[in-house]
Amino acid sequence: MSAQLWALAVVSAVVLAAAGLETFRARRAGRLAAGATAAASTDPYILYFTGDSCTVCKTHQEPALARLGAVRIDKVDAIAERSLADRFHVYTLPTTVVMAANGQALHVNYGYAPAPKLERQLAEARGTALTATA
Amino acid sequence: MATQVVDHSALKVNQTGIVATVLVAFVGSLLFQPLLVLIPLLAIVLLLGTFAPQLALFKQIYFQVLKPRGIVKPRPVQDRPEPHNFAQGMGGVVLAIASVFLIPVPVIGLALALLVAVLAFVNAAFGYCLGCQIFYQLERRGVLKPS
Repeated sequence: MSAQLWALAVVSAVVLAAAGLETFRARRAGRLAAGATAAASTDPYILYFTGDSCTVCKTHQEPALARLGAVRIDKVDAIAERSLADRFHVYTLPTTVVMAANGQALHVNYGYAPAPKLERQLAEARGTALTATA
Repeated sequence: MATQVVDHSALKVNQTGIVATVLVAFVGSLLFQPLLVLIPLLAIVLLLGTFAPQLALFKQIYFQVLKPRGIVKPRPVQDRPEPHNFAQGMGGVVLAIASVFLIPVPVIGLALALLVAVLAFVNAAFGYCLGCQIFYQLERRGVLKPS
């Protein structure tokens, strides 16, 4: 009995530690990637880092991106375009970066980002652009 | 990097099989300790299935029984099988290590087996595959060559 309980406690601790570490890693990578630049555009757009080994990209992220409607999405193979992936500190797939029209990264999402979250970030990026032009 | 069609229902059945087997071994061993033998058996099943897909027990149950009878519907997705096989092999290796520890240090053996079940559950329920992420990192660092 006690072996099972101890094992359960150990696994719970490992899962909690992993979740904490992942949160810390995502925040750190996000801080490092904030402000990184790519090509400028007339409107905000999304850099979508993916790869052939990424299942969530195909089953979750791509349907979510398809729901966004008329938004420019630049699909990037994180293995083939390593220098671009490194610039945005891509450590997990999928990674989506909401880019302002001036080509500056505004939001970096490591892991699956649902459509409402991306819509919110895009709206914010459009707002930033409007403020900048006003 | 050629993609093929991977039936994701086969993967889900495999993950469900892993979770169910570990849970039966874990909970069942409270009452009947010999049920722990399921853990080394599962390690063998996963490792065999990694190197010889025709011997992957849970996938074969899906292809031979569940799919033909319409119990589980197929879900073909353009995907690469390698990361999934890698993840399965990783699960098999961890379960093999767990099996070694089961008798001398049961806490470590049980914890490792439970960890595999947790990761299989996370994959089945949320689509997050830790083994696939490790595969990506190894490809990125050039340890594994993209096929």
